[in-house]
Amino acid sequence: MDKFVVNIIHRPEMVPEYAEKVTGHGKAEDIGRKALLTESLDIFKTQQECAHKNGLKTTIQMTYASLFNDEAVALAKEHHEKYGDEIALTLLGLPCTEFREKYKTKDFCIWMFSMEDKMSIVDDVFGKFHERFGFYPESTGSYYMDADLTNYIKSKYPMVKCAVATCWEEGPKAYHTCNNSWYTFMDGGPWAPWIPSKQNTHAPAANEAEDSGIVAIPHLSRDLIACYDGNGSNFGTHPQNVLRGMIYDSKTWDFPYMYNLIDQYRDLEKYNNGYAYNMMFVGPGWMNKMGRWEAPYELLLKSYEDGCAYYGQLKKEGKLTDMTMSEFADYYREKKGVTKGVYTEPECALWRDILYGSEKQLFWYCDPFMRACVNMDQGGAIVDLRPYAAKLEWKTGIGTKHVWDASYPFLIQEKYRAGYFTHYAGEGTVRSAKVCYNGEEVDLCLCRTKAHFSEEPNADGQGKTRILTLDPVDIEFYDLTVKLQTRVIFEEGSSGIKIERNILEMSNPDAEVEINEYIVCCYGTTEYSEDMNGITLCCTGDNETRTITYAYKCREERLADAREVSAVIPPIETKVSLTAQGKDFTGYVKEGYAFSPMLTLGYTTTLRNKEVFATCLKVEKAN
Amino acid sequence: MSQGRKGKLNYRCPSCFMRDLDIDMFYDKEKDEFYCMRCQYTGKEADVLEKNEMVRFRYRDMAKRFTKFDFD
Repeated sequence: MDKFVVNIIHRPEMVPEYAEKVTGHGKAEDIGRKALLTESLDIFKTQQECAHKNGLKTTIQMTYASLFNDEAVALAKEHHEKYGDEIALTLLGLPCTEFREKYKTKDFCIWMFSMEDKMSIVDDVFGKFHERFGFYPESTGSYYMDADLTNYIKSKYPMVKCAVATCWEEGPKAYHTCNNSWYTFMDGGPWAPWIPSKQNTHAPAANEAEDSGIVAIPHLSRDLIACYDGNGSNFGTHPQNVLRGMIYDSKTWDFPYMYNLIDQYRDLEKYNNGYAYNMMFVGPGWMNKMGRWEAPYELLLKSYEDGCAYYGQLKKEGKLTDMTMSEFADYYREKKGVTKGVYTEPECALWRDILYGSEKQLFWYCDPFMRACVNMDQGGAIVDLRPYAAKLEWKTGIGTKHVWDASYPFLIQEKYRAGYFTHYAGEGTVRSAKVCYNGEEVDLCLCRTKAHFSEEPNADGQGKTRILTLDPVDIEFYDLTVKLQTRVIFEEGSSGIKIERNILEMSNPDAEVEINEYIVCCYGTTEYSEDMNGITLCCTGDNETRTITYAYKCREERLADAREVSAVIPPIETKVSLTAQGKDFTGYVKEGYAFSPMLTLGYTTTLRNKEVFATCLKVEKAN
Repeated sequence: MSQGRKGKLNYRCPSCFMRDLDIDMFYDKEKDEFYCMRCQYTGKEADVLEKNEMVRFRYRDMAKRFTKFDFD
C-alpha cells in the first residue's frame, strides 16, 4: 500500500537561534534573560497546539537547556500521555547559561566540537535527559551528525534508532547567503531518509557491517531543483523558510508553493516502491513575537498553522500517516527490506520545477555507492556525482582536518565547477556526449528533453534496475538530422550508471556519425579547486596500458579497444571509470592544465542508423 | 548623526536578496531611509516594499497549484 509519512518535530529551545542576536539587537547579550526563556516556551506550546489541533502527533526533541526547565519537562510528559508524542533529545539548542559555564565556548554545533567534547556533551545531555525522564531517548539529532558522533552515541546508548542527520545541500550556498559567515558545510548527502554507514554519515550503508544502527532523516524535505541552485533555507517544508524566500503573496499571504512542495514529495512514492516522506522541523526562533525580517509575527504564525492544517487535511483524507521518529525508524527498516538484509534499494526522485515556470526536470538517485543527478534540461547529462562507494572517512570538528567542512566530496558539481562549459577557456564537470559529423559537433547538453521512469527486476533476482527513458532529441547538422534517444540505467547494487545512445533515425540513412561519450570531473567540496597532482589517469587495454600522472600538463592518451578508462583520485580514495560495450571504439584520458584543473575520461566510436552505443560509469573505493 | 538601528521589521536588502544574500538593513532615522552595509542600496520603506515585489519576478509559478509532477 502506498504510504506518505510525515515526521513533525518540535523543540523547546530556551534560547532560540536568531532570537538573541537578531531580535535582541541593541541589547547586550544575555542568554539567561527571563523574557527570552518565557517567550521560547510559549512558541513551543503554540507549535504543539498547531499540530495537535490538526490531529498530528509530534516528536518533542528536548534541548539541553529545556532539561533545566520544569515546565518544559512537564509539558513533554503531558503531551506524550495525551497525544502519543515521542519524547526525544536533540543536540541542537545547547547554548544556555549552564552549558556556557561548563564548556567555556560559544560553539553550538555538536559535529564541530572536538571528539573529547562531543563524548562529554553527549554523556552530559543524555544523562540529564535520563535524570528528568527516567529513560534514554530513542531519537536524537542535530543539523548534522558526523559518523564518529553517531557511532559513539550508538555504542553508549544503543536504544537510539533515529536521528536528524543532515541539511540537504547546505554548503557554500548557505555560507554565501549568510554573507560568508555560516561556517559549516554539509553538501552531498541524501535528501530523504537513509541508513548512514559507520564510515561516513552521508554515505548510506551497503550492508549490515556498515550499518550505523540508526535511520537518518534529513532536516526538512527540500525542493530538489531550487535548493540545488539557490539558498537551501528558502525552499523546504518549513513554512517560515518559504517566507524567507519571499515565495508568498504579500497581500493575501497565500503560499501555494508550500503545498506543491509537499505534493511533489507525495508523488515520489511512484519511484520508491510506494513510499514517500516529509519532515517538518521549525525551530522556535522562526516564530518569535518580534517577527522575522519582513514577516510580522501574524504571518509567521499563519504560515505554521497553514502548514499543519495541510498535513492534517491529508491525514483526514487518508493520504498521510503521521509517525514519531522512532516509529518511522522501524517502518523504514521494514519497508526498505533492511530487516531482511537488503541495503541496496535506492532512493529515486524524478523532480520537476514547481516554482520558476521552466518545466526543468531532474532525476536524483541515491544508493550506498553513489548519489547522482541527471539533468533533462541538458539532454540527460549527469550534473552531480558523489562517490559513496569510497565510504570516505571524513572526521569533522576541532582537532580534525575538517573543522567546519562536513560535505561529502563531489566528482561532478555543475554549480561549483561550471557544468556544460560556456565561458572563456577550459571545461566544466559533467557527464555527457558529443555527436560529430563532417566537422560539426553538438553536445547533448544542448538538447532539452524529458524523462520517463520505469523499472524491471534484475536478471539474478536481486533487486531491480531503474531506467530513465528520455524523449528523443533531434540533432541538426548542416546536411544531416539525427534523432537520438538516451536511456540512463541504474542497476541496483552495481555501483554504476549505464548510458545508452540509440540512433533512431537519420535524414540520410547511410550517414555515419561519431559519438564521444565523456566525463569531465575533479574533486572537492567547495567552489575552489583542490590539488590535482598525483591523480592517475589510465587507458587499460588487453595488452597495453597507458598512464598519465596528473601534473597540469595538458596531456592526452588514447587506446583503441580500451577495456577501461579510469582515474584514481587518492585524496578522496576514489576510482572513477568508464567502460564501453560493442566494438571499434577508442578510449581516451585527458589531463587538465592550470587554468582548467579538470580531468576527462571518454570513448569515441562511429554509429550508423539504428545502432546503439552503451557506456558504463562506475565509482569504486581506491586505497 | 545618530547610529543606524534596526527597524520594527528587519527588512533585508532587496538588491542583495536578488543575489541570494540575506543582509539585514539598518535604518537611518534622520534620513528616514534603510541602508545596506554590504552594497550601495538605500531606500525608504515604500521603495523596499516595491523592490521586494520585484524580486519575485523569477517565481513565475509562485501562485500556481500543481496537480501533476511528471511529463508522462
